[in-house]
Amino acid sequence: MNHQPFEDWLLNDKNLTSTEKRELDLHLRTCVHCTALSATGLALRSANVIAPAAGFTVRFQERLAIQKVAERRRKLWGMMVLLIGGAGLLGWFAAPYIYTFISSPVEWFTAAIGYFLFIITSLQALTQVVSVLARILPDFIPPYMWMVFISALAGFGLLWTISIWRFSRRTPQGVSA
Amino acid sequence: MNEEMAWVIQAQQGSDEAFTHLVETYQTPVFNLCYRMLGEPDLAEDAAQETFLRAFQHLHRYDQKRPFATWLLSIAAHYCIDRLRRRKFSMFSMDAEDDEGNTFELPDPDSPDPEAESVKGQTRGRIQGMLKDLDNTDRAAIIMRYWYDYSEAEIAESLRLTVSAVKSRLHRARKELAGLWQEEETRAETERRPYESPAF
Repeated sequence: MNHQPFEDWLLNDKNLTSTEKRELDLHLRTCVHCTALSATGLALRSANVIAPAAGFTVRFQERLAIQKVAERRRKLWGMMVLLIGGAGLLGWFAAPYIYTFISSPVEWFTAAIGYFLFIITSLQALTQVVSVLARILPDFIPPYMWMVFISALAGFGLLWTISIWRFSRRTPQGVSA
Repeated sequence: MNEEMAWVIQAQQGSDEAFTHLVETYQTPVFNLCYRMLGEPDLAEDAAQETFLRAFQHLHRYDQKRPFATWLLSIAAHYCIDRLRRRKFSMFSMDAEDDEGNTFELPDPDSPDPEAESVKGQTRGRIQGMLKDLDNTDRAAIIMRYWYDYSEAEIAESLRLTVSAVKSRLHRARKELAGLWQEEETRAETERRPYESPAF
């Protein structure tokens, strides 16, 4: 048996004209398949809404309170594990240095002064190299190259400022600006 | 801004009282969806409570451009689908058991219906009984369509499907329900026939 267009009308819950309704009624008298479709459609549309037992909100509040306590406990444990773990790791890495410092403080003090002097002398050497380059380079580099270099620097600066501005203006999903 | 949105915003800012208002407003639709999906009041209660807990925990992710009800029912539907998937083989059997192993009291299909029970009531019971035979996602689509008057686009958004997928799922589910309906009609007719008087 041909169920078209009746099956489509029933499946799409089409609003029927009086002529279409008459045609459908005639078809339903002879078609078991479409009668079942129509009956299930009616049954679905007349189905009622079931409400929960009284006191649902109170039960939810109790459950939420339990959940919050569990969440707090979980966070506390997490924090403790993190702190103890961090302290242990720090101790593990720092132990040789602490041991050296405790066993021979003079040796450690000499090494620190030597390191400090090395940084100072390196900085002095770097300053001299830069001053020599600053005296020599202007004679070698043409003025238009300087212009290109300074323009590129300005461009990068602008790009950086715009990206910072855009990132700082972005709002999280679902939160209105 | 409507009252509901004000509650949502207050709840997002950490007000438990505002969220309680939302629970009071939506307890029935959420419970009904869970009941239609899971078929048992106890399971539905637990699922509805879990839905509100999840909504509370993820409220900061709610997009205010969407209706709150759609977001909430979407959480409920996904939770129920996951739960049904986990309990696929034990759910709805005649010896159905809950997580603790207690058996449910299922209605005896052979017991005579009291006369006071209306035909409409029987039809509703039949529909609930047939819903359990549908695929979980198809069932969610049918419930959203017929209990909540959701459009195909809204169902698609809630169930993370395409509109055409929703349409085909709804058609398939409706045909399946009609098939089950027909089977029951045939069975009822066969059972009735031996007791019928030839005079009628």
